[in-house]
Amino acid sequence: MTLRSKFSGMASGLAILCAAAAAQAETLFWSTQARPVEEAQAMREQVLAGYGSAVDYQPNEDGPWLTRLQAELQAGKGTIEVLGALHGNFAAMNPDDLVDLGDLGVAAESATFNSLAMLGTDQMQYLPWMQASYIMAANKEALQYLPEGADINALTYDQLIAWTAAVEEGTGQKKFGFPAGEKGLKHRFFQGYLYPSYTDGVVRTFASDAAVEAWEKFRELWSHTNPASTNFSFLQEQLLSGDAWIVFDHTSRLAQAFNERPDDFVAFPAPAGPTGRGFMPVLAGLAIPKTAPDMEASKALVQYMMQPETQIATLKATNFFPVVPVDLPDDLPPAVKASGDAIAKMSGAADANPGLLPAGLGDMGGDFNRVFVDTFERIILGGQDIRAVLDDQKSTLAGIMEKTGAPCWAPDAPSEGACPVE
Amino acid sequence: MTATDVSSGAAQRRSGHYLYAASVALLCAWVLVPLYFLLINTLSSPDTVNSFPKPFIPEFDWGSLEFFAGYEGMLKALKNSVVVAVLTMIMSIAVGAPAGYALSRFEFRGKGLFRMLVLLTRAFPLPLLALPLAVMFIRTGLDDTAIGLALVHTTLAIPFAVLITFSLFSGIPIELEEAAWTLGCTRFTAFTKVVLPLILPGIAASAIFAFVISWNEVFAAAVLTIENRTLTAFLLAKLGEAPLHLKFAGGFILVVPALVFIFAVRKYLFAMWGIANR
Repeated sequence: MTLRSKFSGMASGLAILCAAAAAQAETLFWSTQARPVEEAQAMREQVLAGYGSAVDYQPNEDGPWLTRLQAELQAGKGTIEVLGALHGNFAAMNPDDLVDLGDLGVAAESATFNSLAMLGTDQMQYLPWMQASYIMAANKEALQYLPEGADINALTYDQLIAWTAAVEEGTGQKKFGFPAGEKGLKHRFFQGYLYPSYTDGVVRTFASDAAVEAWEKFRELWSHTNPASTNFSFLQEQLLSGDAWIVFDHTSRLAQAFNERPDDFVAFPAPAGPTGRGFMPVLAGLAIPKTAPDMEASKALVQYMMQPETQIATLKATNFFPVVPVDLPDDLPPAVKASGDAIAKMSGAADANPGLLPAGLGDMGGDFNRVFVDTFERIILGGQDIRAVLDDQKSTLAGIMEKTGAPCWAPDAPSEGACPVE
Repeated sequence: MTATDVSSGAAQRRSGHYLYAASVALLCAWVLVPLYFLLINTLSSPDTVNSFPKPFIPEFDWGSLEFFAGYEGMLKALKNSVVVAVLTMIMSIAVGAPAGYALSRFEFRGKGLFRMLVLLTRAFPLPLLALPLAVMFIRTGLDDTAIGLALVHTTLAIPFAVLITFSLFSGIPIELEEAAWTLGCTRFTAFTKVVLPLILPGIAASAIFAFVISWNEVFAAAVLTIENRTLTAFLLAKLGEAPLHLKFAGGFILVVPALVFIFAVRKYLFAMWGIANR
């Protein structure tokens, strides 16, 4: 090959590369949601394919997601056009870095969600995008052990414990599954379910006598829990493999079980305690970073994501429910039907005691969760004295609340200034 | 020597053979059994993957692999991975081998310190470095390019390249080079004519090491590339929460190219371990 032909080959190669780079003018959707391959694929093929122009949907783990975003913000030059993440992800960000979305003419149906999305400022930091919750699910084989007189749709914690005990007696195996694994969402169970159900609070009542009772009950429940639960993070896997018969988890982390074997499992509301049936929503939002290269394109995509048809497509793809009023079609996947029913029963129950996501904690959200995880590990796994652990962890929690100045959120009674730990 | 002595010696030798065979079998199983299970589960239907006990013969259900065949961007990510890994290989040898030669042949002040410092690039976790790196890359335009990511991977691979080549050069007596000089070679030709041919398999081995390091790196790849994702960054983040059967299939897809590569260059790897030409 002559030198000239080598050079011309190199030049043409470069030209092809440049042309390929120029052809990519997709809107970059940088998300922490719909990460599992199947969901990401469904987001592209079923949700974003209907949008007029091409969208590059890139789901990421929280670490790379935030690092990349921060890098673009610091560099002052971005490629990310639209952000999709959980309430907690946005709460940890600097409000100035997100564009005000109040003038888009779209918002969630729920005023609570819309005010959460302001993150304590006076503008829409993000738009509520989709919601989910945590529910219970059981293998139908476990139903025969249900205690007499117990209604699966109105269980109490005592009945749940009796049920798991009966299953253990009947099968010789501990069959309650709890997401206590590394990636499991155990802290949400304590914050949104156990504490509201026993203490009618989360922060104020953290170390109350009622909290001691709650942890005693949970210790009892743990004695009938599959000890391998400390490795469980997605209970759909254990439901399918039969390692767990009765489980608690995030709706989208149970979806696969219902979709693969819809006739084998039932979904039902979380149990109730002395102060009601505590439960907590999961809220994901859409935001635009101030470094978005094409603000108009970003806003158009956000508006598209909030259309009722898009929201229904998103529901089918991710098992996250719409936040705008929609007429749900009949052809929903089994998981959506099952979890939708359970959530409706849970929120419609006479003793419902809905909690809110922690708000106003800023980047201390992770530390807040840590308090609950540490408490769980010390009391349940370490077998330490409940009263002593709570009194000890209480000061950490109080420190977080004082440092952030976060006021109380439901079900805690409202506070002036930082929410006190009583 | 009595008869009993002979027979006990033979028995000892035989039991030694058994022990040797057993260790070999164990070591092979250590590597092969997980790979085999990966293969079986990749070629199984979701139901079988979730059941227990697992079958020992794959049922050749191509569903999981078909899913990835239709998954957008796989081939491009594979190409990016190869490009970045090859660039990393070239750059880490281009920088690492001369450094290794200098360490083994010359005395200079701060040599010990340099050998320590070269390891330091591995002392800081990438998540810590990724943010300032990404900011710099965005500003300089290196962001989202194969060469930019290869630079980062080269930094990670250099300590190994330096230390491996250092020990290789040290293994070649300086007398060989001196002899070449007396026979009319310059310092450079002595290197290319005498040292380089001896060391080539070792250099290839440390290049393979660089290749594997680049192939397996996730965090920097996930942060520093957007359009030009590598296969690991593209797949791994999404596999952690995928259903079990897709985890297996995705793992299989990640492992196979690396296996093929290692198999293709195994001769050089053996050379580094002193087992010549198998």
